Amino acid sequence: MSVLPYAVAAWLFGVGLYGIATSRNFIHLVGCLGVCQSATYVLLLGLGYRWGSIAPIFYDHPPGTPAVDPVMQALVLTDIVVGATLTALLLVLTVQAYKRGGSLDPEKLRPMRAGGKSGQRQDAGHTSGRVSEGGRKAS
Amino acid sequence: MTLAPAVLLPLPVAIPLVFCAALLATAHLLPGRAPDVLALLAALAVAVLSAVIAVHAADKPLVYWFGGWEPHDGVHLGIGFSVDAASGWIAAFIGLLYALTFVFAWGFFDRTHGHFHILMLLFLAAMVGFCFTRDMFNLFVWFEVMSVAAFALTAYHLAESSLSGAINFTVVNSLAGFLMLGGIGLIYAQTGTLDFDSIAAAVARGGRDPVVAGAFCLVAAALMIKGAIVPFQFWLADAHAVAPSPVSVIFSGSMVSLGLFGLAKVSAVVFGGSDQVQGALPMLLIGLGSVTALLGGWMALLQRHLKRMLAFSTISHAGIMLTGLGALSIGGTGGMLVYVVGHGLVKGALFMIAGILLATQASIDEIALRGLGRGIWPAGIAMALAALLLCGLPVGALDQGTRLVQGALSAQGHGVALAATAIGAALTGAAVLRAAGRIFLGLGPDPGDEAGAPSEDEREKANRPLWLMLAPCCVLLAVDMALPAGPIAHALPRAVSAFMHRPEGGPLAEGPGWLPWASVAAALAGAGYGLFRNRLPAFVVQPVRATQSVPTRALEILHSGLIGDYAAWLAVGVAVIAAVLALV
Repeated sequence: MSVLPYAVAAWLFGVGLYGIATSRNFIHLVGCLGVCQSATYVLLLGLGYRWGSIAPIFYDHPPGTPAVDPVMQALVLTDIVVGATLTALLLVLTVQAYKRGGSLDPEKLRPMRAGGKSGQRQDAGHTSGRVSEGGRKAS
Repeated sequence: MTLAPAVLLPLPVAIPLVFCAALLATAHLLPGRAPDVLALLAALAVAVLSAVIAVHAADKPLVYWFGGWEPHDGVHLGIGFSVDAASGWIAAFIGLLYALTFVFAWGFFDRTHGHFHILMLLFLAAMVGFCFTRDMFNLFVWFEVMSVAAFALTAYHLAESSLSGAINFTVVNSLAGFLMLGGIGLIYAQTGTLDFDSIAAAVARGGRDPVVAGAFCLVAAALMIKGAIVPFQFWLADAHAVAPSPVSVIFSGSMVSLGLFGLAKVSAVVFGGSDQVQGALPMLLIGLGSVTALLGGWMALLQRHLKRMLAFSTISHAGIMLTGLGALSIGGTGGMLVYVVGHGLVKGALFMIAGILLATQASIDEIALRGLGRGIWPAGIAMALAALLLCGLPVGALDQGTRLVQGALSAQGHGVALAATAIGAALTGAAVLRAAGRIFLGLGPDPGDEAGAPSEDEREKANRPLWLMLAPCCVLLAVDMALPAGPIAHALPRAVSAFMHRPEGGPLAEGPGWLPWASVAAALAGAGYGLFRNRLPAFVVQPVRATQSVPTRALEILHSGLIGDYAAWLAVGVAVIAAVLALV
């Protein structure tokens, strides 16, 4: 096998990952995840390919005819099933998130509003100190 | 017994799948509590069958080939299960954890037509299959089934925060699946087989090979993502904090540690013959594990959302497990396996207590809950006990695992990692003890305006009696403390040598006896500092506050909750693994 399938697979995965890292829209992000997954299709099919052989179906060929590796094709089929499941699930989650949050932007849909919440634990001491000082002044 | 015990091997996977399908078909016809009963029975059956299998596998691993496709002349076409004693006991532990979780979740979900139970049973089947399989691609299939069930369970409530947590979890873990599949493709291309043993033989014959190293890099990255190792850990806190409490019990108790269990199996069995991989592993696993243990513990200390605190504690403990694995010895791996069980029991109990607070007090915020736990003081005793076990109180399975891991590390002179395991455990113990003191004893300063939780309002159904929720939690803690140390220490060297496909060594070394006590003392001191900071003199408080604020702020910026950042860190992590492999 030549280096080309490896290179294409690595490139696809990298491009998909870049898309996920920079995405501002969940549907676009699901698409990028699909690009990452196509990297695995290319890699597996490339690894199983044999030049000058037939598809591994021996209905109209005598047994023993050189064929491409059927195991890899089975893996790719399973992979496609996994991909369909994941895409469907992610799109359902996206639709539900849009219904509740009114946005498709990951920046606006952070889990547990992480930006606002963390750190308050540490500031608790300061703030309560301020509050009690204020209380004292008022009294 | 006339029946060969190997015939039992598919049953712990098949039984939950059959119950799952039957429930899916009939749940709308069944009376209210029938799904609870059936799911509980299925989980108990898995636990008992796995224990029976483990007992029978004590002498030598049991092997079962599906459809009778046994290997001929060294050619493996079929898919097999191969169960050694250690894998069998881990599966039995998982079955027990599920059974107790089903008790805890009794009546938790109304009007669901049993969907919760169906997903949980699917999840259970996938975990047991993951433990039992001896085929790389089969391992991937169970990995994915586990992931898909977990994604759906995380988003079960369909609330805003649980949805975004579930999306982050799904995207990161899907990428893990793709990496794993790529790695499996590479190893198959190089060795022409998917069976663990034949890959191992081919890898040992092949010598140094970049394709094998690349395959290991991808598979290890995938399993570390599942195991929440730095820098792949971000998804865990988002997912565990927002999942329903019974689901969090399973996530923290077994799913995360199963990722590391898989890594242990793959690195010892499949890549055991590759000098390059074996040479890179100690540095990689002990380095990443130590960082993970410290970072998870520090982050746990910063949280006020109780489930998020426990989630970071799980990250820290996953790091400790990884250091045990990195020792690459029978003692280190054996300690890690015992640790998986002990940690699962204790952390499961803690998530159940978080669920009890959510159900009875309608809050999960440490500050808002201050003093509100007095009415349910038995839960407070359980929480304090679990916190002490978590930081190293020398009783029970978690402690035995800790001492074995620390023994393996000190035997090889990994002083820094040894300190990291002790400090990580102390930090998470301090965080949980502080929360227990504040919630159940009302300690610490009056929060005033701070009492309002910044995260969105959460509550879980309150229609269950306290004893029903508390009983499984107490059983978990009792099992952890009652697991007999003597027989485990006796059986462990043999079980682990079968697990790792390695000749048996001598008795296993244990770490210094004072180290767990040091962790407990440090945890008590840390919790005391957190609660009584305002009463301490300024010359104590000021330096601590000054030194911790910068790293704390940096860590908070890192845990941004943005999926894009997580993807970037994932790429960094894969690059780190590849670099270490290339340098060896």
